[in-house]
Order: sequence, then structure tokens, then C-alpha cells
Amino acid sequence: MSRKVVEIAGRRFALSNLEKELYPSHGFTKGQVLEYYRRMTEFILPHLKDRALTLKRYPDGVEKDFFFEKRCPLHHPPWVETAEVFHKGERMTACLVNNPETLLWVENLASLELHVPLARTSSPETPDAMVFDLDPGEQATILDCARVALILRELLTRLELASYPKTSGQKGLHVFVPLNFQGATFDDTKKFSKAVAVIMQKNYPDLVTAKMAKEQRKGKVFINWSQNDASKTMICVYSLRAREKPFVSFPLEWGELEHPAGQGNPEGLQVMYSEAVSRAEKMGDLFREVLVKKQKLPHL
Amino acid sequence: MAVQGMWSGTISFSLVAIPVHVVKAVKPGRITFRTLHSKDYSPLARRMFCPKQGEIVPPDEIVRGYEISPDKFIPVTDEELESVSPERSRTIEIIEFIDMNEVDPIYFDHPYYLVPSKGGEKAYRLLALVMSRTNRAGLARFVLAEREYLVAVKSSEGALTLFTLHYSEEVLSDDGIAPKEGKIEAKEKSRMEKNIENMMADFDPGKYADERRGKVMELLKKKMKENVPVEAPAGEEEEGEGPPDLVAALEDIMRDMKKNR
Amino acid sequence: MTRGTIWKGYIHFGDTDVPVKLHAAIKEERIQFHLLHRSDHEKLHQQMICANEKTPVPPEAQIKGFEVEEGKYIIVDPAEMEQTTPESSRMIEVHEFVKTEQIDPIFLDRVYYLAPDSDISASGYSELVGALRETGVEGICTWTMRKRSYLGALKASGKILRLNTLRYADEVISIKALELQEIPVSEKELKIGSDLINQLTVPFQPQKFENEHQKRLQKLIEKKAHGEKVVLLRPRILQPTASDQLLQVLEASLKKAA
Repeated sequence: MSRKVVEIAGRRFALSNLEKELYPSHGFTKGQVLEYYRRMTEFILPHLKDRALTLKRYPDGVEKDFFFEKRCPLHHPPWVETAEVFHKGERMTACLVNNPETLLWVENLASLELHVPLARTSSPETPDAMVFDLDPGEQATILDCARVALILRELLTRLELASYPKTSGQKGLHVFVPLNFQGATFDDTKKFSKAVAVIMQKNYPDLVTAKMAKEQRKGKVFINWSQNDASKTMICVYSLRAREKPFVSFPLEWGELEHPAGQGNPEGLQVMYSEAVSRAEKMGDLFREVLVKKQKLPHL
Repeated sequence: MAVQGMWSGTISFSLVAIPVHVVKAVKPGRITFRTLHSKDYSPLARRMFCPKQGEIVPPDEIVRGYEISPDKFIPVTDEELESVSPERSRTIEIIEFIDMNEVDPIYFDHPYYLVPSKGGEKAYRLLALVMSRTNRAGLARFVLAEREYLVAVKSSEGALTLFTLHYSEEVLSDDGIAPKEGKIEAKEKSRMEKNIENMMADFDPGKYADERRGKVMELLKKKMKENVPVEAPAGEEEEGEGPPDLVAALEDIMRDMKKNR
Repeated sequence: MTRGTIWKGYIHFGDTDVPVKLHAAIKEERIQFHLLHRSDHEKLHQQMICANEKTPVPPEAQIKGFEVEEGKYIIVDPAEMEQTTPESSRMIEVHEFVKTEQIDPIFLDRVYYLAPDSDISASGYSELVGALRETGVEGICTWTMRKRSYLGALKASGKILRLNTLRYADEVISIKALELQEIPVSEKELKIGSDLINQLTVPFQPQKFENEHQKRLQKLIEKKAHGEKVVLLRPRILQPTASDQLLQVLEASLKKAA
């Protein structure tokens, strides 16, 4: 009853527990999660490709225990591509979501969230983007993040760097700066993003902090530059988040941040799974440039 | 016991040798916390530390030592340890088979699963099927680091399960536990039996959950809703604000941006 | 408490209450090693080292965080953790009884011997032993001991009661997760395999097995203490049986066993 054998790209496998509610407050079932990722395959796959996947599995739904898995589960099907990676000095085999069947397989493991590094496994020390992770402290919201993102965008534009925002699917925003050139290093992206965060803090002390400590973050937006690290992962664009509501980490147009929908309601900027599908199908991949646009960091 | 992470080698019975690896069969249900530095939330890691030199000692500079007299140690290398029982350090050799029903459960220590390594799939399957058909378990010994384990390998739903067993010398005598004189009143006993009968059920451990774990999970959920998670700094904090050219450029832009606002 | 008593409580079900004392059933004695610095044989200590500063951090500067995402933590302080401790109680509450053979040994964790708490409870104790033995069942029970809640199976063994702690169901990894392949095996292979196993079956006699390794290890240490040279031996590594040779090897094994 709860098993269903599907065939995809000529490969058959069984999906299980399809009627299990993974987001109980929304009655959003595992079957619907699989359907979401199936419809989003063409958009999300290019962003997952050749990156070591960190699974974050919620076998009993978002209200129950979850676990991280950096290692590819031992008995992965033979058609799941893998790569040997080093994490904190430890060698391990990681899954690469390089084909639609692998995406379906990891979702069958209830890995609602898909986290990937900023570099591909073939060149783990070469980030193909620089990221600013805007994280609101207590009493701040995603709308404050939007204000910070707009300032950041102007700063970057004047440095002749194009940037692309997405929701984190939680409370914050991520601003990506595509690099896509051979010589990029995490050393450079970290230095650069930190300098930007520090200058933003200096000029907008009531709005921005570049400091980790929690007491410094109250009412402000923390620009987390430290994500620019080979050992860190980011939530992949178009991934679901395991919050109470099935929000997606979704790309936005800058105009949406200038005039946020929702009349001051922070949730106005969030994108639910259903809206994500219709928007992606209508607008295409707003994050496409992040994968291809070549940019160099100036003044280093 | 501590077959930590994974062990791989061979399980053998008579002339048959099957390449396998040992994987966990149970995982701790406890919710695990990381220990962090209160100052900046940097994660802490257990490391061996030399008090004399005041520094962390990397694994390749560590050797086991037996304390022969107070503060006097005899070092023993991994190679020497492996030489103690060379026939058992890479092979789980089943020496005999036993009827699983004869094993007093008090002997069970810790369970693991065996899974076949490449090329061992068929022989593994055969051993699992045959042991299940005959309700037998294989008795073997094998050595890991400084310890030797007596193990029972049994078949369960097509898988081989390995139980480390206690040695009989480790099982304490229960002499003196039983009451010296406990008069059994037949009436009382049959009343108990009746109660038991009324409370019979099928074994279903899934009905019971760790109360504490549930509470900890609730606490964490509540805190996650109310708080933004804290974060550790990435690597060493670099001093200063960044490359001078970049900082100068950023400051220029900022000044201009604010003027035009 | 008398010597050896770990905890005191009482078994409860229906209108039965039997006060008991928990005693250890297993004692492990093993050669203990310390870890030394290879260069000067200085004894090393375990310390909590800060990933950032690479220096030991004293206990008062350590806090507990739950990792919600790589490198991101929710901090939980000891007072909050204290709130989650289950209410203390002395009751070992039996919820139901099950047939012994239904309990898969994978659930069995630690065994305690139960002794009657006093002479007064001796009769109730012995009656319970008798009732459990004759019905061939075990009581599935829960209790709280030292701020932890336990699940267990209460059973009779000879004239005494034993309490076996059980793992919670979600702590046992499902065999399905191993995703073992169902490789076909011929009836002939099964038959010869079964014959072989029957040939090699003996009664379970755990007393036969001593911890030989421990004794050899002791010898090795003595040798080294006397400055004698230790001969290094390479571990034996067996050649795996090839799948297409399996039947042949089984037949040869059977011949050897007979």
C-alpha cells in the first residue's frame, strides 16, 4: 500500500511510505515531496550536479528527529554517482545528485533538505560563487535582510559584480556572486566577503553586524561571510526546508526586495512549495547565471 | 565493545571464506550535543594532550602503554598487538555451530550487522539461509585492537547479525540473590498467573519511547523557533579589515552611496 | 544499601508489588592501556580542544550545543536540560507480558539480577519467579533510574528474577537499511550447506572459551618488560571463496568435517 515501484530512465526502484505526512501541520506527505522534486528536477539538478551532497534526513517528518549524512549511504544503488571527498581530514564517499533518479532516491530517504558546498568535487578548493548569508538576529526579520541585501547589491554593482538573491527558506536571505573562473579560492572569497561585511557594519551599525556572537546580533542582520569555506555547505537553491511550513529556498528578483509583497508581513517574501513550482515553470531558473557568469573579484 | 565505525575482513566456516564488513546494528537514541567554547561557539574536540609539552599530540605520535608500575609504562605497538593473535585479527573464524535456543541471553553483549563485501554476496546469502533453516548460530572469536571477542553470528531476515558475547568468567554468580526462604502460596501465585494472562500481548517495542528524549526534542524545537542558531567562526579570525586596496575601494563607494541617498 | 546494590525499586503490575534490589550481573576485567607520546613515553591526557584556538578549554568554559545545520548550534544550558529529566520514581511498572521467544536478542542491552529487598518481600518474589517461569513469559516494563528512563524485560531464571534493559525500537537499525540482495542459491548448495552446519554443531558451552588473547597479551607485556625481543607476525588474510567455486568448496568442507 505504501510502496510504489517506479521506473525512471529505465531504472526501477521502490518508493516507500508515500502517505506519511512529513509536514504534519500542512498535511504535506512524502508522496507530495517526491512530486515536488520531480517537477523541480530540471531546475534544481544543474545546481546539485557534481557537488558533494549532505543529506539532512527527516524519516519521521519535520517535527521528529533528523540526521545529517555526509557519507553516501553504504548501499546506494549502482547508478548513484559518488566522489571521494575529504571532510575535516577524513576521507569519505559522498553522493552526487547528477541524475533525476538519484534525486528521487535521496528524497525517498526523506532528505527534505539538500545541502551542497560552493565548489564542485573535481576542484574542491575552487568556489564557483561567493556568498553572503544574511541572517536576522532576534527581533530582526527577513525584511531587514532585504534592506541589507539592497545595500549590498549596490555596493557590489559599483564593484562591477552582478549578484543574485534567494530566500534561505528559513528567516534569511542568501546573496550569490557568481565567479566561475579557475583561479578563484576560498581564501579570496572569504577575505573579500569579510571586508564587505565589516565595511557594511561600520556604515550601518544599527542594521548590520559582521560578528558571530549572539548578543551582537539583536535587532540586526548578521552578514555571515564565513560560509565561504571549503568545509561549509549551503542549502541548495530550490531545496525544501524542514520548517513547520514547507518553504523553499527560492531565487528572487531584486525588484521583489525593493517592494516586498505582504504589506510588512515577513512571510510575504517566502515561497511555498506550490508557488515554487508555478513560478519556476513560468520564469525559468532565475539562478542560472550563478552557474555560468564569469566574474573576478577586484582589488585583491 | 568497540568495533568502532567499520571493520572489514573475512568470515569463514570450514573451507568457505566470505569477505564482509561490520556495520552498526544499533545507534544511540540519545540526542547528541556538541561541546562548544562558551566564548565564540567554536566546537571542542577530544584530543590527546601532552601535559609536559603543553601541546596536542597527533595520532601517529601516540602509542599504547601498559602501566607496569606506577608511572612506568611498557609501550605496545599496533603491530605487536596484531602479532598476539595473528590468525584472528582479520578473520572471524566460525569454530563451531550451536543451537541458538541454548544461549542464555545473559551472554549477549552488543549487536552488529555483517554485510557482504564485493564478491562475497552469494556465500553470505547461503550462510544466512542455511543458518536460518537449521536455527543455528556460528560461534567465532576475533580480535580488534587489544581485545578479543567471543561472538555469535546468527541469521535474521536474510542478514547476518553478529553478537559479541561475554566470557563465562565475566558473568557473575547469582548465588545469594534468591531469597533464603520465600514461601510460595499457591493461591497468590495463581492469582499472579491470572493477572499475567490478562496482560499478554505481542512484543512491540515501538510502543515505548524514551520519555526524556521526547522532552529534549520538544525543548530544542521550542528553542529553534525562538532563537537564531549561533555559529562558530570559520577557522582563524584574520586580523584587520581586509586587503588595503579593497578596503579603500569599499570605503570610497560607501561614502558616495550615502551621499546620494 | 547492602554491598553490590545498584538501585532499589519495586515491581508493579495489577495488584502485585514486589520490592527488589538491582545487582550487577556482568563484570568485565580487561587489560587497561594508557596512551603515551611515542617519542618520550609521556602519559597523555584527554582534553577538550578548541577548534579555533587549538588550546585546551576548561570545563567551566564548555557549553552544550545542538547542531541544527553544519556549524550552527542551538545552545542548551544545564538548567534547561534539568527540566527534561524524568520524574524520579521507584516503580518498575510492568505494562504487559510477552512470550520470551518473541524478543529478538538485538533488543537486549544490559542484565541485572534482582534480589528481594527484604525478607518480607521474599514470598511475593518467589511467587512471581514461579508464575513467570511456568507461563514462559517476560514482563515488559519501564522505570526511571538515575535520571534516565528505561525499557526492560523482567524474567525468571532459576530461582531468581532478572531485569534485562531493552533498546528502544528506534535505536535498532532496520535490516532493510542494509539493502541486501536476494541472490539465488541452489537447493543443492543449501542442502550441502545445511549438512555441513549440522556436522559442525555442538552444544553451547561458554565455559570452554577463555580469553586466551588476554593471557597472550599479558605474556607479551612481561616479555617486553624483561627487555626480550618480540617476534612480529603478519595477520592471516584468507582468500575469499569465489561464487562459482562455492559448491565445490562446500563439498570439500563436508568431506573434511565427516
